[in-house]
This record gives sequence, C-alpha cells and structure tokens, in this order.
Amino acid sequence: MISKVLKYSFVLAVVFPIVFLLGLSLAQQWQFPEILPQEWTFQHWGNSLFKQGDILESLFLSLGLSLTLASLVSVLAFFMSKYIAYSKYRQQYMRLTLVPYILSPVVLAVTFQYYFTVANLSGNFIGVLIAQLFFALPFGIVIFNNFWNAHLKSIEQLSFTLGASAWQSLLKVILPLSKPAIVLCFFQSFLVSWFEYGLTQFIGLGKVKTLTVMVFNFINEANVFYAALACVMLILPPILLLYLNKRILILAR
Amino acid sequence: MSQAFLRIHQLDKQFGQDQILKGINLELTKGQTLSLIGASGSGKTTLLKIVAGLESADQGKIYLRENRIDVLAPQQRKIIYLYQDALLFPHLSAFDNIAFGLKLQKAKHIPAQVNAMLEKLGMQDQGHKMPDQLSGGQKQRIAFGRALVIKPQLLLLDEPFGALDPEIRSHMQKLFKNLVSSQNLTAIFVTHDLKEAIIIGDNIAKIEQGNLIQYDSKSAFYQDEKSGVEDEILFWKHLKNETNED
Repeated sequence: MISKVLKYSFVLAVVFPIVFLLGLSLAQQWQFPEILPQEWTFQHWGNSLFKQGDILESLFLSLGLSLTLASLVSVLAFFMSKYIAYSKYRQQYMRLTLVPYILSPVVLAVTFQYYFTVANLSGNFIGVLIAQLFFALPFGIVIFNNFWNAHLKSIEQLSFTLGASAWQSLLKVILPLSKPAIVLCFFQSFLVSWFEYGLTQFIGLGKVKTLTVMVFNFINEANVFYAALACVMLILPPILLLYLNKRILILAR
Repeated sequence: MSQAFLRIHQLDKQFGQDQILKGINLELTKGQTLSLIGASGSGKTTLLKIVAGLESADQGKIYLRENRIDVLAPQQRKIIYLYQDALLFPHLSAFDNIAFGLKLQKAKHIPAQVNAMLEKLGMQDQGHKMPDQLSGGQKQRIAFGRALVIKPQLLLLDEPFGALDPEIRSHMQKLFKNLVSSQNLTAIFVTHDLKEAIIIGDNIAKIEQGNLIQYDSKSAFYQDEKSGVEDEILFWKHLKNETNED
C-alpha cells in the first residue's frame, strides 16, 4: 500500500510536471479547460534550437557555468575540508561555513556587488562564477565534513608507514575511498549553480543569461510556451546527472 | 655506544598540560619482541606513533641501527604500525591489500610473493575476497601479511588482538610468534593482557605515569612486586582450588 502511494506520489511530483511542460512546449494553442493542446507544433523548438538559438546558447552557458563550478567546488572543498577537519579550530571554521546559509545569496550579492563592479567582475561569466563559488564552496565543505574522520586518518597514516608518499596515498587510497563523497559534492554543487537565479541576475546584471534566468524572463513576458520549453531543458541535465550519480554510487559500492 | 637495534633516548611528549611521556629511554636488540604494558592513557600508543613517525616528540632522539630516524618522514623509516583495527583498504581485495606495499616499492615477482604470504597465513583461497567478506581474525591476518611482506625493519603492534575472541586470539598469538621468528623481525607489542605480554614478548617493559621501566629479563619482571604477575598467579591458584573443591 505504502509502496503504491510512494509510486503515485513520484509520478505526480516528477513525471506529471515534465510531461505537462513538454506538452506545453509543443503546443500552438492550449486553452482551459482542454486536457490536451488544441494545436501541436515543433516551431518553438525549431526556433530555439536552430533559428534564434538563444535558449540553446543559454543551455550551453548554464552547462559551462554549472560544470565549472561543480568541478571547482569538488576539488577545493575536498582539500579545504580535510584541512578544517584535522585543524584544532574545526568548530570555528565550520561556523564560518554557515554564513552563506544565514545570509541568502541575494543578500550576499548586495554586499559584494560594489567590489565586483570595482574589480570589473559584474555582468560577466567569471564574476557570476566567483559569486556562486562564495555560496557553493561552504556547501561543499559541509558535505565533506563527516568524510574526514579518525578512521580515515588512521588508514592514511597506515599507507604512509607502508611506504606511500602523500601523493600516492591520495591517489591509491584516499581518492578511491572518497569517490561517493566527491560525486555527491559535484552533483549538489551542480544543482546549486544550475537553479541559481537571484545571485546570477544581480552580479550578471542580466547579461549572463543562464537557462534559469531565461525561464524567469519568459515568465515575465507571459511567454508560456517558450518558458515551458526552457523548463524542459532546465530539467533534463539534472535528471541525467541524477541517473549517472546513482550509477556511479552503485558501482563504487 | 651500545649495539642496540632500536634506541630511544630521553623522549618527551606533552599534550596540553599533560606530560604523557617523560624522558623515555628504551633499547631493543635485533630479532627481539618487546611487550609493552600499561594502563589506558599511559602513553603506549603515543610512544609507538612517535617511533613510527605519525606523531612528533617534543624532545628526544630515536635511532634505528644507529641511524637517527626521528627526523625522517614515516615512509622513509620502514617501520610498520599495526592498529587494533586491521584497517584493510576497503576498496582492495585481500590479495591487493598484501600487494600494496610491494607495488609501491616496485618489487619483482609480486604475485608470487603475495601468494607465498597468503599461504603462510593459511589464507591461500581467500586472496580474491574483499575486506567486508572476511572475519575479524582473517582481516587481522591479512593486515599482518601486508606488513610482513615488505620486510619492515621494525614492527609496532598496538593491541592487534584486542578485538578478537579468545580462541582466535590464541591462534593469532602463535601465528605472530612463528612469523616474527621466521623472519627475525624486531617488534614492540602493546597489550593490556599480562598473559599475552608474557607469551609474546622476549622481554617486557611497562609505562607508568609517563615513565618507562624496561626489565633486563622476563624473570626480573616476574620478581617485581608491582608487575601484577603475583596477583595473576594467585588468581589462577584460587580458581584451581575452587574447581577442585567443586
């Protein structure tokens, strides 16, 4: 019974919105109370992908931004969290990582905007990347926080006594063991960046048009068909990543 | 200067306000196993970790074959530290765990060496198994094999049988004695168990309130009133009498 309820809940929460958005993106006309669109068309997709190409451009910009951010956060958070975990100031450092949670991204953006403008980082890709890094890096450190523990430290020390250098220990022992944590961190940071709106809009000055920004623009213009199309594109990469994440974690086990 | 294989000279270690080790002096000859006993928190583990290079001393010097080693990184000392937990690398099979150090050394004939070690451990059929498929005793045997196969200069064992049940523990003690004597290894064996210390050690030392007492011989240890041996003997006599009365 519970299994069935969960299955239907999943369909209702995930599958239905995707099917609905896909239908809307292929509709020429769809008026209440019709269950299905009155007219179907591939025109919106054709325009976006081949003629105007602005949504496709946003898709690649978003992918570039999110993948770069996720890679940066995974690497930086991995090493920073190790330093923090074995530091005698661990608690103080971990308190600092909570700052971006206490202050929302937009508040952070307002605080930093002046410095970004002075450093010529407003309205461009690098600026948005750095701004998102401020927010996503502490998040990554929190994910890795519990990974570094006394047991892992003992395993690392043991590899040293068996003759491994710090680099060999990292490659042959620590990285294989940390694979699930790295995958999780990469996935979560990707999502943080992928769906980020306020900070991107504020620091990007509307010039860095990620897919999420585009969705909001289309909604503001009441352009529901293109908004739906952008939403479909927005949903697909996380679904693909979720699938890969699951596969990698299962393989790691 | 004496011909000690391992020599520790005036070693001090302090954690915060606590002086854990106070001017520790210790000498070990080649092929000797020293049992090190002492209460929890007396500094046994800290001493082993300092010798292995996993902790630094505040003061003092350590010599191995008359070469000063306390200035070397752990990977340069050829000293293996074995924990109570076997700490096998969970992502490697039993075979690959044993081969780990050999691969780092780029040794020749690795499969043959590993298979020979598995045979010595009585685990020739278990090499393909992952650590989570092995029992506690089997894991500890693999951990031994992994340490011994690279022929360390010195073996440091921190209560390696503490988590095993009595039957396996007794088997592991015999296995350890055999392997160590066949390879003429020098070892320091930390244990809480007085009986185990006597079985395993060629000699015995005790840490008490940060001071180390190294006995000249086992009989010197037995004769020390504070060694606890008398109490142990009395206990067994008492038990025997009670059993006879029943």
